[in-house]
Amino acid sequence: MLFASMEIDDQGGWFDTLHSDEPEKWQDALLWLKNSVIGNNKQKQNAINHGIIPRLLQWLVDGDAPQHLRLEAAIIMGSMAKGTAENINTLVEEGCVSVLLKGLKSPDQAFVESCLRCLRTIFLHNSNCGSLIYQEPSIVEDLVEIMPRSVCTQECVANILASSCKEPEHQSKLCECGLIPKLVDLLAGKVYKVQMPVLKCLAGIVRENGENCVVALTAMHNNVPLPDMLVQLMLRDRTSEMQIVAAKVLAYLCGGGALAPQDPRIISKTLPCLIRMCSRDRTLEENVEGAETLAYLLEQDGELQRVAAVSDHIIKTLAEYLKYTDVQQINRCGKRIDINWGIEMKQAAFKAFAALGANEESIRKQVIETEHLMEYVVVGLNSGNMKVAAAAIRCLHSLSRSVQLLRTTIQDHGVWKPLMKIIQEGPEELLPVASSTLCNLLLEFSPSKECILDCGAISVLVNLAARPEPNLRLNGIWGLMNLTFQVEQKVKTKVVESIGTERLFRLLSDPDANIVMKTLGLLRNLLSNKLHIDHIMGMYGNQIMQAVVFILEGEHPIQVKEQTLCILANVADGDKAKDLIMGNEDMLKKLMNYMQYQPDVSLQIAAVACISNLIWSGEDGACARQAKLSEMGVQTLLQKLLSTTDTVLFEKVRTAVQQFS
Amino acid sequence: MNNIIMERGLLLERGPVDGGVEKEEWMELLSGHHVGRAEMNKLIMNYLVTEGFKESAEKFRLESGIQPSIDLNELDDRIKIREEIQNGNIESAITMVNNLHPELLDNDRYLYFHLQQQHLIELIRDGRVEAALDYAQTHLAERGEENPSILSELERTLALLAFEEPEKSPFGDLLLLCQRQKVASELNAAILETDATPKLANLLKLLLWSQEELDKKKIRYPRMTDIATGTIEAPK
Repeated sequence: MLFASMEIDDQGGWFDTLHSDEPEKWQDALLWLKNSVIGNNKQKQNAINHGIIPRLLQWLVDGDAPQHLRLEAAIIMGSMAKGTAENINTLVEEGCVSVLLKGLKSPDQAFVESCLRCLRTIFLHNSNCGSLIYQEPSIVEDLVEIMPRSVCTQECVANILASSCKEPEHQSKLCECGLIPKLVDLLAGKVYKVQMPVLKCLAGIVRENGENCVVALTAMHNNVPLPDMLVQLMLRDRTSEMQIVAAKVLAYLCGGGALAPQDPRIISKTLPCLIRMCSRDRTLEENVEGAETLAYLLEQDGELQRVAAVSDHIIKTLAEYLKYTDVQQINRCGKRIDINWGIEMKQAAFKAFAALGANEESIRKQVIETEHLMEYVVVGLNSGNMKVAAAAIRCLHSLSRSVQLLRTTIQDHGVWKPLMKIIQEGPEELLPVASSTLCNLLLEFSPSKECILDCGAISVLVNLAARPEPNLRLNGIWGLMNLTFQVEQKVKTKVVESIGTERLFRLLSDPDANIVMKTLGLLRNLLSNKLHIDHIMGMYGNQIMQAVVFILEGEHPIQVKEQTLCILANVADGDKAKDLIMGNEDMLKKLMNYMQYQPDVSLQIAAVACISNLIWSGEDGACARQAKLSEMGVQTLLQKLLSTTDTVLFEKVRTAVQQFS
Repeated sequence: MNNIIMERGLLLERGPVDGGVEKEEWMELLSGHHVGRAEMNKLIMNYLVTEGFKESAEKFRLESGIQPSIDLNELDDRIKIREEIQNGNIESAITMVNNLHPELLDNDRYLYFHLQQQHLIELIRDGRVEAALDYAQTHLAERGEENPSILSELERTLALLAFEEPEKSPFGDLLLLCQRQKVASELNAAILETDATPKLANLLKLLLWSQEELDKKKIRYPRMTDIATGTIEAPK
């Protein structure tokens, strides 16, 4: 018998034998090598240093080499893959994967299984391998065909495929090969170590893939549909790891549109299971995975959010996540896992809160009022770790839909600086959510706007308003609109200066009607307050009037024209600005036309409001204006309108009529 | 507790707890329950297979018609491995395991440590001090790096070398033959991948646990005092 402890000094001798031209000694040498490396990372590295990988590959590649040698080579390769991450990298770099995949074509079942074991270990621990099985079309088909043969092939192939279905093209290819029904059959087989990778594979193959979800929904074993099988696997007598992956598959089926949120299998089975996974008595991995999957599921539907919010003190439980600091783990294989649990738990909790509070104000209130929660959110925003900051932003975005509840947070916790930093320096994909959050928060901030302005909010928003992406442009202009609501004149001036009239008017002809509306809203906010109106019209009056004409004469939805008329009404409120309208015959004629516009009464109301401001008695020059408008027939028109059935219009008309004295 | 609910829903109206249950009544209740022959046979087959009694399992299969849950030829390997360990030939056992289950010791380094530790113990038992130190240095140091929690176990083993009569030292229990048995069972369990306790043993444990629970609540009932013979004694 050849023992690993023997002949330490002769080690070099064994390696020489393997590289030598003495085939009769290879079997013994390989046996020695196998026993040397199994369980010993140092020996694995030692073997690599002696150039063992290329030598093993030679046997594996050579279809004519003696089968027993090829088998040992595959087994030893498999042991090498159980070493350190560097060992696995070496294997991948030296091209082992494609050699092993070719080995699957062998008729020798034991050899195939050894190759599969090695591949499975490599794929599980090296995330770069995911696309390697797609390099040749026959590989996937071979794997699917081999899979059912034995417990070993089932477990290994399922694991390999589970690690290889991240991209939509991969998902489609796997589905085309008829993988899903085969997986369902294996799931029913009740062999635990097969069921687990099968579940992970199913999760990977249906995630965000509507077509695959449909196939999975209808897949059956013995007339039991897959979703029902999954519900059985979520029962409490199963291991947590099984419950959570089964729940994941169901959640993805819901997200992919195959299962409705109200389906009892989702709302009464999957949801409670995920909430269970978040509780304190589970491992940290289960907590993180549970919360993240819960977040994914809750985003699908408001009813799910409502039910979740009252389940098992979930908000309190998730709040506890925020208190975790770094904890390391060592598992039984002796591999130290360096995971920063503080980061993982926090980002999972933020994601879950974001989903919980997506639709319901009452839930948002609960979240916001949870002790210290908002402080953690702000700390999260300031975190150097982008994963945490991104999750914190999503949380804040969700909560900002009830911005008035966030008043203290905004005041006390300095949310502006980190928010601006993320917008200006953070990754592109965070821009939409970060800028939406900014818009929402701008709705509610105190008269002391120095802090937000000091943070450069205006230029940030102006830059957004110039972006080619419509959603970012919208957020930019919307933010400016919110910013200028009831604000001081100097801020208004600054805004107009920053954005420039040219950009403003370009936005007025934006193809997106929402953007036009918000730009008009901005103008309206700028032109509120008599003094401001005169000031701004004094500087930009001509351009503004041109813009008004441009919109009224163009093809625009009713709301857009209504907003424009409201702006005109604001202009008419300015003491000096009034003249800009009065001096424009064409504009006055337009107003009269709109006073009679049918069928939409909103335009009539806006036009009358404008007239009302123009003729407002008691103001300088009122008599002259009234006379002029009367001459044009406005008074008569107003009298006619008194017969309207619309109460709002009637009130406005009556007020206007009363001005004529 | 006014009602004692027996298995299968037999509801027995009783008086206050102090009364307890007398032996006659107890035996009557017990005889009302029937455990099927097939169930019994399965338990026995499970015991024989788990414990590695291959010939008996084969014979029992022929006589009872119960199919064993695994191929009985697989038992041979497990039996051989267990024998090697019980004879102190650890390295031979490791080689056999690596031939049959090449992933096992890579996956379970703690088990591998226990096997290596046993080899170390055997070297110490044989008085091969230098070989023992050499082995510890070459092979076991790495285990310690991977998993610091085994260091205390390693220390205890190496401490044996400090004594002239190690079997009389505070760690002498490591030299007992039952230590080999422990390792053999651990390895057996790992190979079986499932709970290596025969189901029969679990049932007996359940019985003992139930009696304990009843004792805690100070209930009078006829106890089974001898598991091996199934003797039930009347309550005092």
